[in-house]
Amino acid sequence: MFLAIKEILHNKMRYLLVVFTIFLISYMVFFLTSLAVGLARENRTAVDQWDAKTVVISGYANKSLVASTIPQNSYQDYDKGKDVAKLGQVSVVSQLKDSKKKINTNVFGVDWKSFISPKLIDGRLPEKNHEVVVDDALKNDSIKLNSQIKINGSSKYYKVVGITKNNSFFATPVIFTNMDVFRTMKYGSSRTKNISTLVFKNNKKVNATGLEQISIKDLINHIPGYTAQVLVFSFMIAAMVIITFLIIGIFMYIITIQKISLYGVMRAQGIRTARIIESLFYQILILTGIGAGLALLLIGVTQFFLPKTVPFYSDWLAYIVLTLAIMVMALLGGSLSMRRVLKIDPLSAIEGE
Amino acid sequence: MPLIEMINVNRQYGSGRTLVEALHPTNFVLNKGEFVAIIGPSGSGKTTFLTILGLLQSPTQGKIFVNGKDTSKMNSGQRTDLRFNKFGFILQASNLIPFLSVNDQFKVVDKFSRSKRRSRNSAELLRLLDLQNVANNYPSNLSGGERQRAAIARALYNNPEIILADEPTASLDSKRAQQVVSLLAQVAHESQRGVIMITHDTRLLAMTDHVYEMQDGFLRQQK
Ligand SMILES: Nc1ncnc2c1ncn2[C@@H]1O[C@H](COP(=O)(O)OP(=O)(O)O)[C@@H](O)[C@H]1O
Ligand SMILES: [Mg+2]
Repeated sequence: MFLAIKEILHNKMRYLLVVFTIFLISYMVFFLTSLAVGLARENRTAVDQWDAKTVVISGYANKSLVASTIPQNSYQDYDKGKDVAKLGQVSVVSQLKDSKKKINTNVFGVDWKSFISPKLIDGRLPEKNHEVVVDDALKNDSIKLNSQIKINGSSKYYKVVGITKNNSFFATPVIFTNMDVFRTMKYGSSRTKNISTLVFKNNKKVNATGLEQISIKDLINHIPGYTAQVLVFSFMIAAMVIITFLIIGIFMYIITIQKISLYGVMRAQGIRTARIIESLFYQILILTGIGAGLALLLIGVTQFFLPKTVPFYSDWLAYIVLTLAIMVMALLGGSLSMRRVLKIDPLSAIEGE
Repeated sequence: MPLIEMINVNRQYGSGRTLVEALHPTNFVLNKGEFVAIIGPSGSGKTTFLTILGLLQSPTQGKIFVNGKDTSKMNSGQRTDLRFNKFGFILQASNLIPFLSVNDQFKVVDKFSRSKRRSRNSAELLRLLDLQNVANNYPSNLSGGERQRAAIARALYNNPEIILADEPTASLDSKRAQQVVSLLAQVAHESQRGVIMITHDTRLLAMTDHVYEMQDGFLRQQK
């Protein structure tokens, strides 16, 4: 540690460059992670809110909630008890009264007494047909408590009576209505008693022709584009972490080569190679620690300056895991220089520079 | 028991037509309290001899005993520890670590010694070598003479039993050269250390106990 720190302090510029590189890479890794998590969440938070185990959807829907319709005679046998909830989903366009702006939203039709009824952070649950609960992300479009909104160009206005949060599905905020309103929107009439899916809080098995029971995880992975998006981000993040290995490896190798004669002096003095290698790894830990630490600070600040519409989500657990991954990669990179250090001949101290 | 004993040691560089016998088979003994000088023209093999004695390189043939122990039976880690614990080097090229101040050069010795050793008082060493004013300087900020004296201070700091100096007075004026050599003599005689010094300056030989001359890889005792 002593040698490691003294050397860094004596060659500040050189090591500052290493810190700066680590800082940039870590910041990019953290930023990409935040976007990945943010985007993923926008696809799924409404589903996460259910805290359910499985859903039953139409066998034709190819596991996609948005494509599923189940007629009453197919689901009525299973819609029993408090642990089962009917859900209707339809993608709609909403419009604030006296505004021309069209906003992509989801309508989730629910029974207000079921377990998937939204948790409110403000207001109350609807009592009439034309009352709705909306996700608080819609405040970015000025939709608040008591706002009047049109849905799919309806002639009547819906009144926002309750606000919920973290209810986003398929990258758009959710508007909760009762089942009848949903049915009118999707099927033109509240007389057809169709639903999109049955949500099960527990692992109860359902075996029915024409229906398919899938896990919540499966449901999320089949949100169109979700898996591809998660995969693309994961690849980018993994690539950056691996780049750390190369960059630190190359940096440290160059620095090591430049220090051969110095190492010779240390070896001649009787300082063991283990000490020199230890110092090398301490340096890497210190430099990556500082670089990643600064990146963490900046990412913490970044979220306050980003527009609310950017899907940025600070996942500190992921940051810590990635910081550790970057450190491990950096240490692995440092081990590229180890062979060189092991070969150092104390005699090189005599031969001079 | 001698501090170091060299038995039939030789050193060749290269092979075939480029083979150079830098050191012909040599026997040599250094006892406690002895101050030995090695003289000889450049390229005659003095440094080769000294670095083999100091376990910085292995001989082509022959054996070196340190305190009666056969160093050829040791692994390189054990030889490294032996260097750290028993030897002090004052080398032609600097033996200072560039990113450490003069004071920190001493600290490294304290940090890395496994056994509680008796190190010399660093303040006293600095005073003796007139380095008090530059104790916090890095080697690159020292004059040639200061650097040489710092190297000597570093070599003496771990209280080595054996001090090997390759032209330690090369960059010193004659007054300082006298001082350094008398310091080495004092270390040898008063604290019963063994000192070997390569030098070109024949005026300094008066203070030594023995003088050897190296010529074309042959070592001959003169005094
Ligand atoms: N590493 C080496 N490789 C090949 N030849 C060497 C090497 N070191 C020294 N020599 C040769 O060995 C001889 C003795 O060198 P050296 O011990 O440095 O002499 P001195 O210190 O007396 O000037 C010289 O001919 C030199 O060229
Ligand atoms: Mg020489």
